[in-house]
Amino acid sequence: MSNILQELESEIAGLKTSVAKTNVGVVREIGDGVAKVEGLSDVMLNEMVEFPGGLYGLALNLEETEVGCILLGEGRHVKEGDEVKSTGKLFSVPVGKEMLGRVVDALGNPIDGKGAINATENYPVEKIAPGIMPRQSVNQPVQTGIMAIDAMVPVGRGQRELIIGDRSTGKTTVAIDTIISQSNINKAAKEAGDDSYKPMYSIYVAVGQKLANVARTIATLEEAGAMEYTIVVVASASDSATNQYLAPYAGCAMGEWFMQNGMDALIVYDDLSKHAVAYREVSLVLRRPSGREAYPGDVFYLHSRLLERSARLSDANGNGSLTALPIVETQAGDVSAYIPTNVISITDGQIYLETDLFYKGIRPAISVGLSVSRVGSSAQTKAIKKVAGTTKLDLAQFRELQAFAQFGSDLDDKTRAQIERGERIVELFKQDQYSPIPMEVEVVVLFAMQNGYFDDVDVENIKDCQAKLQEFFTTRKDAILKAIRDSGKLEDGTVSDLKQAIEDFKSGYKPE
Amino acid sequence: MKSSKEALRTARQLIEASMVDGKLDLQKVRTIVAKLVEKKPRGYVQVADQLGRLARLEVEKNMARVESAIALDEATKATVLNDLRAKYGSQIEAEYSVDPDLIGGMRIRIGSDVWDGSVKNRIERLEQLFS
Repeated sequence: MSNILQELESEIAGLKTSVAKTNVGVVREIGDGVAKVEGLSDVMLNEMVEFPGGLYGLALNLEETEVGCILLGEGRHVKEGDEVKSTGKLFSVPVGKEMLGRVVDALGNPIDGKGAINATENYPVEKIAPGIMPRQSVNQPVQTGIMAIDAMVPVGRGQRELIIGDRSTGKTTVAIDTIISQSNINKAAKEAGDDSYKPMYSIYVAVGQKLANVARTIATLEEAGAMEYTIVVVASASDSATNQYLAPYAGCAMGEWFMQNGMDALIVYDDLSKHAVAYREVSLVLRRPSGREAYPGDVFYLHSRLLERSARLSDANGNGSLTALPIVETQAGDVSAYIPTNVISITDGQIYLETDLFYKGIRPAISVGLSVSRVGSSAQTKAIKKVAGTTKLDLAQFRELQAFAQFGSDLDDKTRAQIERGERIVELFKQDQYSPIPMEVEVVVLFAMQNGYFDDVDVENIKDCQAKLQEFFTTRKDAILKAIRDSGKLEDGTVSDLKQAIEDFKSGYKPE
Repeated sequence: MKSSKEALRTARQLIEASMVDGKLDLQKVRTIVAKLVEKKPRGYVQVADQLGRLARLEVEKNMARVESAIALDEATKATVLNDLRAKYGSQIEAEYSVDPDLIGGMRIRIGSDVWDGSVKNRIERLEQLFS
């Protein structure tokens, strides 16, 4: 009790200080989540301003006599003539490990009904990206657990890899699979007592999505036990455009905390096309001049400043990283539209998902020709690099030959072999959703494929054979898997063991 | 129909023309308004609107609105005005009013600056600290 009294006294003593100057303005116009405020002569760009009733806004447009503010919340009670105070603070959100396992809105308030978040730190939502000197090049892998991605378009820690494709082609699934895979690896390392492994935390930012979809995603993450390593930031379709515009930055600030404190984090922006649309709405209501497709002139900067904040910091700066997986939706496969081209040019590569492949049953529907990773191959695990080196080329050649072979049946042996190999690779890369494969198992399957162990298996039996091979290794050849997992390499001794084990398996394998 | 931007530009030019030694000459503004109404140039209503707004802001810049819980005596008024003039320049004029809601103390507004030393404000700040 005396503590509270002392606290009260000290607070009251603090209030006795001299009269402080505040800068105020008067609301002249309000509507659509935007207020025009007259006055506020000393306000700074992006500063928080306080409306009556504890409502905050952001000063986005500084004009000669007026300031255009966006409201961070419901502003129905604000009316013309109300006084608005400047605060001298930037908009910030709570950050830290306390946020893990929680679902928050764009302002960092919990919306999962699990009580208050006792975060001790706050980070400003808008922050300048790390410069050149604190960075280092990407050299550690992010195991997505999706074999096609890990083999052909590898992602490294600190990379920005765009996931792009039409509606319902599995973009979110790729991202969620990655989050689940990371949590599986984290848990495995924790169980094994491996202190050297740096766990990877995930942040999933849902922008402008249907709440039903978000609920489903959260349920999936919970089911897979991935929520304990994940923060979910939601600005759904029913939230204001302002909140949708701010959500990716809020999520990024939470990710930056991990990066700045020497940890690794992964952030998924789902998706940036809706983010651009929300920003367009805000800009148009603020009466900023519109450009192509009515997007404002700074829509490129909107995304570039967000994605630049993903980085791999140097050892001197704590060796943390923030990997970004932005998602962009295309219309009818048009990658040359405005927002897709912008984001493609900002990111370090893209995973392109094709509708045709998806409906052919090739899932994940990754288009080999259009997907690239510009920096990931230097971060690829050595073992995977060794067994997957030519897979992308094989598959690309297969697609070409397949188109060609449709017209004639007479093919020479080499071409036929290439086509048959290609068909098998396609089958092997098919993978169920939410079931990421551990790296060492990927290595085994890819090794078997590269060395022709699947060539005598019928295409329709490939999946069955692969499943049994995986089961054979996980139940009976754990030592080989462990050797690959621990070293990350495929040493000569392991290769001969691996060959022997696969031959053992093949001798006993019978298709169903 | 003149666009609002053009109207604002015209109004700003008119305001600049009526400044004398960094201070708005209200007599000049009156003349301008009278001329506007008389000649009715294109878009004169918007121009007049903007002119009124800019003139009001200009006047507010040099006008201190002093609100206090109880009526101030002449000596206090003089001290307040002198202090304000020392800070903002000699062109400052003051306007006094009484607002019992303040409970105690004073609240002074000049342009968009507010010096709030009222008891009401302090209670509100205390409330925010403990909420």
